[in-house]
Amino acid sequence: MSNFPILAVMALFMGAFINSLTGRRSRRVGNIVVFIAMAIALCLMLALIPPVFIEGQVITYWMGGWAPEAGWAYGIGLEVDALSLFFGLIVTIAVMVSGVYSFTYMAKDDSQVNFYTLFLMLSGSVLGLVLSGDLFNIFVMVEIMTFSAVALTAFRNDYEGALEGAFKYLVVGSIGSMCILVGTALIYANLHTLNMAQMAAMLPTQHNTVLVLAFGFLFVGFATKAFLFPFQPLAADAHAVAPASISLMISGVLTKCGVYGIIRLCYGLFQNIDTAAVQYLVTGFGCVTMFVCVTMAFNQHNFKRLLAFHSISQVGYVITAVGLGSALGVSAGLFHAVNHTLFKGLLFLVAGAVQHETGSLDLDGLGGLSKKMPRTCLLFLVGAASISGLPPFNGFASKWMIYQACFAKAGESGNFFYVLVCVVALITSVLTLASFVKVAQSVFYGQLPARYNDVHDCPAAMRAPIWVLAALCALLGVFPGFITRFFLKPATGAALDATAYADQMLGGSHAASAADFQLLGNWSPLVWVVLLLVVCCAVTIVAVSAKKGMAPVLEPAPLAPTDREDVCVAPENAKYEPFFSGEESEYSQVGGSDLFWGFKENWRKYFSFWHRWHSGIVNDYALYGVVALAAVLLYCLLFV
Amino acid sequence: MMSFNYFVAFFFIVLGLYCMVTRHNLFKVVIGMSIVDYGANLLIVTVGATNGGTAPVYTGAEIVAGTVFVDPIPMALTLTSIVISACITAMALALVIKMYQHYGTLDTRKIRRLNG
Amino acid sequence: MQVFLDVLGLLFKVFFFPGLAFTLVVSFLLAGLDRKLVARMQRRVGPPLLQPVYDYLKCLGKETIIPRKANRAMFLAAPLLGVASVLVTALFIPVGGAAAFSANGDTVVVLYLLTLASVTVIMGSAASGSPFAGVGLSREMVSMISYELPFVLVLLAVGRVAGAGTALGVTFSFADIAAYQAANGVLLGHVALLPAALAMLLVIPCEVGQQPFDIDEAETEICEGVLAEYSGHPLARYKLMHNVKMFVMSGLFCALFLNIQTGFLLLDGVIFAVLCCVVTFLSMSVPHAVCARFKVEQVFKFYWTIVAGLAAVSLALVWLGL
Repeated sequence: MSNFPILAVMALFMGAFINSLTGRRSRRVGNIVVFIAMAIALCLMLALIPPVFIEGQVITYWMGGWAPEAGWAYGIGLEVDALSLFFGLIVTIAVMVSGVYSFTYMAKDDSQVNFYTLFLMLSGSVLGLVLSGDLFNIFVMVEIMTFSAVALTAFRNDYEGALEGAFKYLVVGSIGSMCILVGTALIYANLHTLNMAQMAAMLPTQHNTVLVLAFGFLFVGFATKAFLFPFQPLAADAHAVAPASISLMISGVLTKCGVYGIIRLCYGLFQNIDTAAVQYLVTGFGCVTMFVCVTMAFNQHNFKRLLAFHSISQVGYVITAVGLGSALGVSAGLFHAVNHTLFKGLLFLVAGAVQHETGSLDLDGLGGLSKKMPRTCLLFLVGAASISGLPPFNGFASKWMIYQACFAKAGESGNFFYVLVCVVALITSVLTLASFVKVAQSVFYGQLPARYNDVHDCPAAMRAPIWVLAALCALLGVFPGFITRFFLKPATGAALDATAYADQMLGGSHAASAADFQLLGNWSPLVWVVLLLVVCCAVTIVAVSAKKGMAPVLEPAPLAPTDREDVCVAPENAKYEPFFSGEESEYSQVGGSDLFWGFKENWRKYFSFWHRWHSGIVNDYALYGVVALAAVLLYCLLFV
Repeated sequence: MMSFNYFVAFFFIVLGLYCMVTRHNLFKVVIGMSIVDYGANLLIVTVGATNGGTAPVYTGAEIVAGTVFVDPIPMALTLTSIVISACITAMALALVIKMYQHYGTLDTRKIRRLNG
Repeated sequence: MQVFLDVLGLLFKVFFFPGLAFTLVVSFLLAGLDRKLVARMQRRVGPPLLQPVYDYLKCLGKETIIPRKANRAMFLAAPLLGVASVLVTALFIPVGGAAAFSANGDTVVVLYLLTLASVTVIMGSAASGSPFAGVGLSREMVSMISYELPFVLVLLAVGRVAGAGTALGVTFSFADIAAYQAANGVLLGHVALLPAALAMLLVIPCEVGQQPFDIDEAETEICEGVLAEYSGHPLARYKLMHNVKMFVMSGLFCALFLNIQTGFLLLDGVIFAVLCCVVTFLSMSVPHAVCARFKVEQVFKFYWTIVAGLAAVSLALVWLGL
C-alpha cells in the first residue's frame, strides 16, 4: 500500500520511456503503452481511496528506505494525505480523459511518439508534484511540468502563434520557477530541511524576515503556476495555441498544481492563513483574477482563448474560496477545483472537436453548427451550464458553497470586504453566463456559413471522453452531498490539520481528522429538478391536449448552395425562411464580438485598457510578473 | 564574506529579471533567464557553505577535531537545478530559432500576434 | 393516513394554493390589469381585463412555423423550459407565510431560476437563426447583466436584516424573511432598506422585460427581437412566461418587503394579490405609461449606477447596523 504513490508516478514516467522506445515502430503499440500507463496510475489512485478517505490514514513512502530518525527527516519522502489524494485523483482522471481523447484527436499529426512521451512526462510530473512530501522535489516536478507543457504547447509549431505562446509561457513561467527555488532555499537556510512535514512541524513556531520572504516567493511561484492575475496572459496564449487535449491538461491539471501549492503553503507549511493579512492577500488575488479574466473573455475572438480566460477566472473562484481560511471555504474551493477540471476540460475538448471538424476556432467565422454537430452541441451546453453555475450542474453546487463561505466569513468577521467578494463572485458568474451565450450563439446557433455545409459530428471515440466529463458534471451537480461527505470533508480536514500531516510523516500517531462544517442551506437540487420536469410535462400535456389548431410542422427543404459562397437559393415557401422584413435573405450572422455592444460601449475605456495591457510582448508580461513579485514581497514584509 | 555572496546572488536575480524586462532581443531575454538561474544557484550554494568548511567527502583522513563539512544537500540541489536550467535554456533557444524562421525577426515587440 | 394527508396537502399547495393555479390566475389578472391601467393613463379605453387569456388561447390556435435555418429541438424546447422555470420559481414565493415549496437558500434559487428563464429566451432566439433574434438576444443579455447586480445587492441587504439573529448573520431563506417580518413588522418600514426597495421596484420591469426596458423585443426597432421567429404554441408559452414573470417579480417584492400574515390562508392570498397589483402598477404600469423605451447602453448605465447605487447604499447602511 505504501508504495502505491511512487508506483503511480513511475508508471507514467516509465510509460513515457517505453512509449518512446516502441511507439516509433507502431503507433498502435505506443497507444496501448500510453493507455496502460495511464490506467495503472488511475487504478493505483483509486485503490488509495479506501485507506485515505475512509480510514483516514496518511500513506508515506521513503525513497530508498531513508526513514526519519529521531524526528528528523533525511530522505526524500512521498506523503499522501487526503488533500494530496484529492488532487491526485483530479490529475489522473483528467490525464485519462485527455489521453483517450488524444488518440483520435491527434491521429493525423506526425511525430506522435514525441507527443505522448511529453504528455506522459507532464502527467507524471504533475502527479509527482501533488504526491510529493519534499519541497525541492516539488520544484523539480514543477520544472519538468513547465518544460513538457511548453514543448506540448508548441507541438503544432506550424500553427499560428504556437511558438510565440510557448516562448512566453517558458520565459514568464521561469520567473515562477525561480521564485519556488529561491523560496525553498530560504526555508532551507533557516530550517535545514526540505521535508514538508518537518517544515509543518517547525515553521509555525518561527517567524523571521527570511521566512516571510520565503513565503512571498513561494506564493508568487505557485500563483504563476495557477496563472493568477498578472500571469493570466500566459494561460491565454498557451491554451489558445496548444492542441485541445493539452489545453485540458494546462487548464484542468497544471493550474491545480498552483492551487495545491497555495493550499499547502498557507494551510500546511506556514499555517498563517489564520492571519487577516494572508487572507486578504489570497482572497484579493483570487477576486481580481476572477473579475479581470471574465471581462477579458468579452474581448476574445478565438474560441479557445476565450475559454482560457474563463478557465483562469474559475481558478480565481477557487483561490478566493481557499483564501477565506474557513473549513467551508476550503471545501468550497476544493469542490470548485474538481468541477473546474471537469467542465473546463469538457469545453476545451468541445472546442477541439469543433476545430477538428471545421478547422477553425474563429468565433466570428463559425455559426449554426448545432445542426451539423448536434451531439457536440449538447455536450457544449452541459459544459456552458456548468461553468456558468446554472443548476442542476456541478458549477452551481460549488459556487453556491463559495457564496455561502464568503458570506459566513463576512458574518463572522463583520468585514465588509467579504461582502464585496461575494458580490464580485455573483457578478462574475453572470458575466460568465453571458459570455457563454455569446459562444453558443456564434458557434452553435445563428446562421450556418455555406462553407460548413458538409461538416459532420466528430467521431464517437472523441465524444466518449467528453461524455464521461459531462456525466460527471451532472452527477456531481445532482448529488453534491456524496462528494462532500466522502471526499471534501476528509480533504478539508487534511488541509486544516497540519499537525496530523507532520506527525504521520515523522512517525507519530496523530490520526487525521475530517473537517466538520455546516452548510447554510442543505441544498437538494434533485428535488427541484424533479419539480422542473414535472412542470415541463404538465405544460406539454396541456399543450398537446389543446393541439387542435396546430398545423403539422413541415420538414424543411434542403438548402442548395449557389455560386455565391454564403447565400442560399431563394425559398420556394418563404414561410420557412427567417424573417427579414421583406429584404433578400442574406447571410447575416450577428458576430460574436458584436453581441455585447451595450455593455462594452459603457465600459469601453476599461476594455481598451485591458486590451492594451495584454500587449503580447514578452517583456511586458515579465514586467507584470516582476512587479507582482515585488508587490507581494513588500506586502509580506509589511503585514505578514 | 557570506553576506557578500547573498548580496551577489540577489544582485544576479535582479539583474536577470531586469534583463528579461528591458531587453527586446529574444536571445537577451533567454540570457536574462539564465542569469536569474545563476543567481538562484549561487544562493543555494551559499546557504550550504560554511567558512573554512571542507568538502563533505568521507575518506577517514579529514576527521580531526575542528573540521567542518559544508552542507552537502545544497550542492546536490544546485546540481539538479543547473541541469534543469540547462534544459530550459536549450528549450528556449530551440524556440527562438524556430521563431526566427517563422517571424523573420528577433525583436519581441514584433512577435505579438497573440494579444488583447 | 397521516402520510396520505401530507401528500394531499403538498399536492394542494403545489397545484392550487399558493401553487400553480393561484399563480396562473393572478398572473393573467396582473397582465390584464397592467394593460388596462396603461391604457387608462394614456386616455385609451384599453382591452378587457381578460385580454391576456384571449391572446394566449388565440396563439394556441395558430400554426407553429419553424424557420428552415432554426435548430428545431432547441427552438421548441426553450419556451417550454422557460415556462417551467418561472412556474417553479413561483412555487418558491411565499404567499403570506407559506410557500408551496420551500428550501433553505431559496432566494438564491429564485435568482438562478429567473436567470435560467432569461437564458431560455436567449437560447431559443439563438436557435432560430434570425438576425433580428440575434440582435434581440444580445440586448436581452445586456439587460440581464444590467439588473443582476442590483438584484443581488437587494437580496443581500434584505438577507442581512432578516438574518441578523442567525448564526451566520445572513439568511437566504424566504421562510426566515417571512418570520422576521411577522415578528418585527414589514421590512418596508425599515428605513435602511428603503433605497433597496426602490431599487427592487426598478429591477422588476427590466427583469420582466416590460416597457420602457423591453429592449430585447423592441418591436418598432428589431421586429420583436428575440420573439421574431416565434409563432403558435411556442409564442403562447413565451407570453405565458412573461405574464408569470410579472407575478413572480411583484410577488418577490411583496415577499421581501411587504410580507403580511394574518393567519388565514385565503385572506393572505387576497392581500397578496392586491399587493401584487399595487406593485405592478407602481413598477410596471407607471414607467410604461410615462417613459419611452430606453437605449441599450442607457439601460446598462442606469442599472449599474443609479439602481445598483441605491441597493449598495442600503447594503452599506444595513451592514453598519442602522
